[in-house]
Amino acid sequence: MIYNGEGGNMTIDNSPVITLRDLRKKFADSYVLNGIDLDVHPGQIIGYIGPNGAGKSTTVKIMLGLVEGYTGEVRIFGASPSDGGVEYKKRIGYVPEVAEMYDTLTAREYLTFIGELYGLSFMEAESKAKRLMEMFGLRGVFNVRIATFSKGMKQKVLIISSLLHNPDILFLDEPLSGLDANSVMVVKEILALLAAQGKTVFYSSHIMDVVEKISDRIILLDGGRIVADGSFEQLKGQSQEGSLEQIFNQLTGFNEHREIAEQFVAIVQEV
Amino acid sequence: MNESSLLRVLDRFKGGFGKIGVDYPVMRRILQVKLTMDGRRVPTIIGKSRKKDGEDGGTEKNQFFGSLWLYLIFGAFSSMFVALGDNFIFQMSLVFGIFMFMIMTSLISDFSSVLLDIRDRNILSTKPVNRRTIAMAKMLHICFYMFFLTGAIAIVPLGVGLVRHGVGFFLLFAVELVLMDLLIVVITALIYLGVLKFFDGEKLKDFINYVQIGLTIAIALGYQLLIRLFDFVDMQQAAFQPKWWQFALPPLWFGAPFETMLHRDGNPLFLLLSLLALAVPVLAFLLYLKLMPSLEKNLQKLSDPGSRKKESAGKGLKAISRLLCSSPQEQVFFRFAWTMMGNEREFKLKVYPSIGFSLIFPFIFLFTNGTEGGISGLPGSKLYLFIYFCALLVPSVLLMLKYSGSYKAAWIYRVLPIGDRVPVYRGTLIAAVVRLILPLYAAEAVIFAILFGAGVVPDLIVAGLAILVYTVICFAYLSKALPFSERFETAQQSEGLRMIPLMLLLSAFALVHYVATMISFGTYVYAALLLAANWILWQKAFTAKLP
Repeated sequence: MIYNGEGGNMTIDNSPVITLRDLRKKFADSYVLNGIDLDVHPGQIIGYIGPNGAGKSTTVKIMLGLVEGYTGEVRIFGASPSDGGVEYKKRIGYVPEVAEMYDTLTAREYLTFIGELYGLSFMEAESKAKRLMEMFGLRGVFNVRIATFSKGMKQKVLIISSLLHNPDILFLDEPLSGLDANSVMVVKEILALLAAQGKTVFYSSHIMDVVEKISDRIILLDGGRIVADGSFEQLKGQSQEGSLEQIFNQLTGFNEHREIAEQFVAIVQEV
Repeated sequence: MNESSLLRVLDRFKGGFGKIGVDYPVMRRILQVKLTMDGRRVPTIIGKSRKKDGEDGGTEKNQFFGSLWLYLIFGAFSSMFVALGDNFIFQMSLVFGIFMFMIMTSLISDFSSVLLDIRDRNILSTKPVNRRTIAMAKMLHICFYMFFLTGAIAIVPLGVGLVRHGVGFFLLFAVELVLMDLLIVVITALIYLGVLKFFDGEKLKDFINYVQIGLTIAIALGYQLLIRLFDFVDMQQAAFQPKWWQFALPPLWFGAPFETMLHRDGNPLFLLLSLLALAVPVLAFLLYLKLMPSLEKNLQKLSDPGSRKKESAGKGLKAISRLLCSSPQEQVFFRFAWTMMGNEREFKLKVYPSIGFSLIFPFIFLFTNGTEGGISGLPGSKLYLFIYFCALLVPSVLLMLKYSGSYKAAWIYRVLPIGDRVPVYRGTLIAAVVRLILPLYAAEAVIFAILFGAGVVPDLIVAGLAILVYTVICFAYLSKALPFSERFETAQQSEGLRMIPLMLLLSAFALVHYVATMISFGTYVYAALLLAANWILWQKAFTAKLP
C-alpha cells in the first residue's frame, strides 16, 4: 500500500543518469573509496548504506563537486563534476546530513534564495515554497527565523529546499531525522511518487527498516567498496538472512553485537 | 547608507562582472542575503550596549553602521597627528599604525565569519553557481565593510589633510589607504591559512577569540593613551634614524611616500620604503589569489572535531577541589565551572576584557591622582589602597557566571538529582575566585609590592582578605541563577544599576582599611575581623535570603 516500486519505469528512457567507474579517493594516506562501479537509472530509489566511515557521504560529495582529487570516472547526466561546469547541478536536489542552513534568515527568505540559486524567479520560488510549507503544516512559521525551529521543522525546510526546482536526482542523507511518524509517512510517499515519475532518489541512512521498505535497490558499501548490490529480495536470497539489518551485519562482518551489549550492561551495573 | 544602495552601485558594473565570468544576478542575490544576515548580527565593538533582538522586527538595521561612530572618533583623534606639522614620516607612520591596528583587529573579530563561513560550501557549492561567482561575492562582501570601516576612520584625517597640506597630500593619502586595505585583507587571510594549515579549526577559533578580547581592551585603553600621547611626543623635534628592523613595519612604508613625493626627499631609504608600500600589497594580493583555493580547502578543518589535548587526568584540579570544597557535589561543580570558564569562548570574550581593565584601573588612578613625587614618592604613602579598585571586576565576573553560549544544556540541573543548590553555587564561586579573581589580585599585589616596597605586604594581604569578603557579599546580593544557564543576549542593562551599591561597598572597604592604618594595631584588628567574616560568610551567605 505504501509503495509500488515497479510502476512507471517502463515509459522512461532508461540510460543511466549516474555512472561511476573505478572511483577512488584518498584522504591523507588511506583510501576512503576503493574502486566504486555503479550505474543508476531513472526511477530508482537507491538505498545507499554502510557502516560509519564506509565512504557514503564522500561518494555523494564527489558527485556534487564538493570533494575533489578523486580518480576514476564520474558522470551525472553525462557531465563530470571535475569539468568545472555547474549546469548539471540544476537537476540535483540535496539534503545534507547536518542541517546546515543560513538560520538567521526566515524560512521564506531562505527558501526563495535557494530557489533563485537554482534558477527559479523570486515569484515562482516564493509561491512554491509557501505552498510546500503549508503542505508540511508550517504555514504559520513561514516568516519566522529558522534558528527558532525545532529539529523536525528544520528538516522539513531542508527537504523543501531540495525539491523547489523539481530536480531529477535527489541526494538524501538521513532525510527523516527528527520527523514525527506522520511526516515520515508523508515523505516516504513523496519519494515513492517522485520515483514513479522517473526521478532518481539516492537515499543514505542508518535506519535499515526504512531503507528495506522504500528502496528498489540497495547498495551496501564497506571499506570503500561495494559489497552488495541488488533488490532486497536478491540480497535476502544471497545471504539467507531475514532482515536488512541482519544482512548488513553479516556482510560487514559484524557479529559480536551480543558480546558488546553484554559487556556494556555489565559496566553499567557496576555502581 | 544601506545595503540596497551598495547593490545599486554594483548594478552599474553589471556588464564588467559578466565579462570576467561572474553570474551577476546570482552574485547580487548572494550578496543581498549575506548582508541581510549581517544585519542580524552584533559586532564586538558595540557588544556591550546591545539591544534586545526582537524575533523578526521590521526595524532591522545593520548594527555594523551603528558601530561606525566609534571608528569616526578614533579617526578624529588621529587627525591631530595629520595636522600637527610636516614631519610626515613620523606623523603618517603613526596614523597608518593606528589605522592598520583598528581595521585589522575589527576585520578579524567581526568579519572572520565572512572569510570562514563553512556553510557556504554545503549551501552554495551544491547549487548551480560557479566558483568565480561565489568567490567574487565573498570578496565584495568583505570590501563592502572595509570601505565603510576605512571611510569612517579616515574621513576626518583626509579632510584635515586636504585643508592643512593640500590636494597632493589628500590624493596620496587616499591611494595609500586602498593599498593598506588590500594588505590587511591579504595578511588576515594568510594568517588564517597559516593557522589552519598547521593547527586545527579549534586553534583558529581560539585565536580569533583572543583578538576579539584584545580589541575590546585596546579600544578602552586607546582613549586614555591617545590623549596622553601628546604629552610625551614632540613631533617636530624628532629626527628619523633609520634602523634595519624598520623595514619590517608596514606603517613606515606608508609614511615614507609622503616624504618622497611631497617633500621631494631623495633619501634612498624613503624611496625604498615607498616602493615597499606599493609593491608588497600588490604582490601579496597575487599570492592571495594563488593561495585562496588552499584556504577554501583547509576551511573544511573548521568543521572537523579538532584534536584536543590528550586526556590530562586533571589530577591537580582534583586535588585543589578536594582541598577547597567540602562536599563531593561541591567539588564536582568546582571542576565543572573551572573547565567551563576555560573553554567557553563567549564567556572569555565577555569576561577577559574586564579582567584586563581591572588590572589597569588601579594604575590609572595611581598615576592621575597625586603622583607629584613620581614613582619614587610611592613608598611610604597610602596610595597602595588603590589596589581595591581591581576588585571592580568581581561583580561583573559573578554576573557573567550565569550565562553561556550553550545555555540550553542547563536542562541537566533539572534532570539530575540535585536537592540542594548551595553546593552548586559555592563550588562555582570558589572556582571563579581561584581561577580568575585570586590570580589577578596576586599579580596586581606583586606589582604594588615592588612599587611600594615590602612594607606594604601585610596590608596587601589584608586587602586580599577584604576582597574575598566582598566577593561573597556580591554573590549574595546579585540575583542568583544557576551557572551557565542563561543566554548572553538576555544580559540586561538594568544589572548595571545594581552594581552601583557594590562599588560603594568596595570604597567602604578601602576606607575602613585606611582608617585602620591610622590606629596602632588597627590593621591587625581589621585582618582578624575579615578572617572571621570570611569564615562565617562563606558558610552562611549561600543560604541566606537577601533582597
